[in-house]
Amino acid sequence: MTLSHAHQTPRKPARLVVLGSGGFLGRNLLAACAAARIEAVGLGSRDIDLAEASAPARLAERLRPGDVLVFLAALTPDKGRDSGTLMRNLAMCRAVCEATRAAEIAQLVYASSDAVYSFATPLISEETPAVPLDLYGAMHRTRELMLSGEAKAPLAILRLTAIYGGDDTHNSYGPNRFLRQALKDGRIPLFGNGEETRDHLYVDDAVELILDVVSHGSTGLINFASGTSVTFRAVADMVAARAGRPVEIAPSPRQNPPTHRHFDTTNLLRAFPGARFKPLDDGLAATLAKMRAEAGA
Amino acid sequence: MKAPVVGFAGMTHLGLVSASAVAARGFEVVCFDADSGLVRRLAQQDWPVLEPGLDELIRGNAGRQRFTNARGELAVCDVVYVAPDVPTDEQGTSDVSGLTVLIREIASAMNPAAVMVVLSQVPPGYTRSLGVLPPERLYYQVETLVFGQAVDRAMKPERTIVGCADPAAALEPRFRAVLDAFGCPILPMRYESAELAKISINCCLVASVAVANTLAELCERIGADWSEIAPALKLDRRIGPYAYLAPGLGIAGGNLERDLATVRRLSELHGSEAGLIAAWLRNSQYRRDWPLRQLQERVLSRVDEPVIGILGVTYKENTHSIKNSPAVALIKALADCRLRVFDPAVRAAAEWHARMTVTGDALTASDGADALVIMTPWPQFRKLEAAAVAGRLRRRIVIDPFSMLDRAAANAAGLEHVVLGAPLPLHAQ
Repeated sequence: MTLSHAHQTPRKPARLVVLGSGGFLGRNLLAACAAARIEAVGLGSRDIDLAEASAPARLAERLRPGDVLVFLAALTPDKGRDSGTLMRNLAMCRAVCEATRAAEIAQLVYASSDAVYSFATPLISEETPAVPLDLYGAMHRTRELMLSGEAKAPLAILRLTAIYGGDDTHNSYGPNRFLRQALKDGRIPLFGNGEETRDHLYVDDAVELILDVVSHGSTGLINFASGTSVTFRAVADMVAARAGRPVEIAPSPRQNPPTHRHFDTTNLLRAFPGARFKPLDDGLAATLAKMRAEAGA
Repeated sequence: MKAPVVGFAGMTHLGLVSASAVAARGFEVVCFDADSGLVRRLAQQDWPVLEPGLDELIRGNAGRQRFTNARGELAVCDVVYVAPDVPTDEQGTSDVSGLTVLIREIASAMNPAAVMVVLSQVPPGYTRSLGVLPPERLYYQVETLVFGQAVDRAMKPERTIVGCADPAAALEPRFRAVLDAFGCPILPMRYESAELAKISINCCLVASVAVANTLAELCERIGADWSEIAPALKLDRRIGPYAYLAPGLGIAGGNLERDLATVRRLSELHGSEAGLIAAWLRNSQYRRDWPLRQLQERVLSRVDEPVIGILGVTYKENTHSIKNSPAVALIKALADCRLRVFDPAVRAAAEWHARMTVTGDALTASDGADALVIMTPWPQFRKLEAAAVAGRLRRRIVIDPFSMLDRAAANAAGLEHVVLGAPLPLHAQ
């Protein structure tokens, strides 16, 4: 249950079509395609609302035979955690399934999430059972099953851990929020003392891996993670050390026992032996530099 | 009673070593294999397996041990062992079809009064289901072959486990005479118990190794050293001095995998709880890839066009076997690197890797490499001088799971010396 490559030697794809091009990962993927002179088309919700009834036909019209369809679009938990959001997300996926049946695309790459895993197993691999704990995780797992069963294209499922980087508009608990809080307030509030361990993947590394999957025509399932987990406290300490101003790290009374998540990335390393991961401290420095540049601009 | 003549059918690893041990105990032994090419090699003293002490053992047997591809020659034997190695597939499932055919052929060729002993490892229920001979003349004997130590263990078994149709009945006297020659306790039991006993032994070994591997990894991460802890465990009476507590690169070689597959299959069939088996297999697979993770962290993520030296291809020392070898898995995983590989017994196959140089000796494998990985604990690798290795490497990194290099010398040579179950030296942290 891992990736297999159609091409052992990487090949430039005919064209990428990126669904969810307005999002953090989509923007960075398109930028990387431009830098690598890979033809790519981005489609956001303004171009096609995938949850609408007409979406399958409209998407199929945009697809050409031989395209690689990269499916990043999703309503993330900050847009809603309810069943309505779940159903919209599933409707989007159904549109993608139907569109692939009308177009002879070369590959379908789906950006799933490590939210499909529970915290029962602290060391996660592709063999770890997917037991989602919330509707967001259930949505990704259901989409995986829908795409596996109903889409007509060689399918790669990428389960991404939390991604961070310069222009991340999300503000979830972790590196980006800590950086913003440090710069704006000089204070990083933590749940408990930030004892939970998590893996954080720098956006450039995630984009590079997606392009690896595309250029190898890979199919199957793989987790995208750096293989290094640290506590939120350690992230906060790194941020504070780099903020350039005094930063208070503010623990709070813990409401729940801490959870931990590590990744066994061996299958990823086997699939892409040259994969490199930016150390968290370096990634935070790069993110901070980008934030400052944007603030200055 | 006249000393019984003993026959062995199947001259692969198990049969050859076991027959040679029986001959060394003073019995006349007829060694049969239908493969005339193999018999010709054996007659020319060209042994098909690498096993320390085997050559001396067979040469010492002189006229007591002879090889033949004529099945009829087994008719002179009082006791006939059937002992070919049983092949397994990638999932560890045994294919006993060839063994069954051989047993039936031998049963019709041997003296009607002779005793047959199945020595090949078979799944529980197999021996009783054969129905080829009267039950009182059909036995199953548990083999204890350990690659690389097979001669020593065959000559000095700790005990002999014998599966019988009726364990309350006395063992057939000629068979008993052969077993008594080894001077160890004999444990008769039901066929099914004996068949499961071997599997039980291997499960205990796997459990010990899984414990060692699990805690050794923790040692690496918290600054403890498993090599300091293991001796304390061995002095505990409940664990013992011979416990398998050396951390390793997972289960390999095929035999342990086969037994785990058998337990898993039987527990699925009979509805018994066997979650441990899956956990052991997972632990094994995880530890097999320890060198790859170390290389990724220390070299592959930092160096363009890395060159990696690899010492050892076989799954363990003193054997030709590469079955489930962690070294072969590593070689195949390093497709993007240039490799320099040496093994004293096996030449790495070109189809494993497109950019691999097979070197003529161990030291040369380090030449210009960004890291050296010592995958198999061949004794000769222990003689490598750390300073000499350091002088050949481009980057001073040695991934040495079994600590073949002297730790102090490696430190003195400025090597980043990475060992299973040990924290990195302070200078390298």
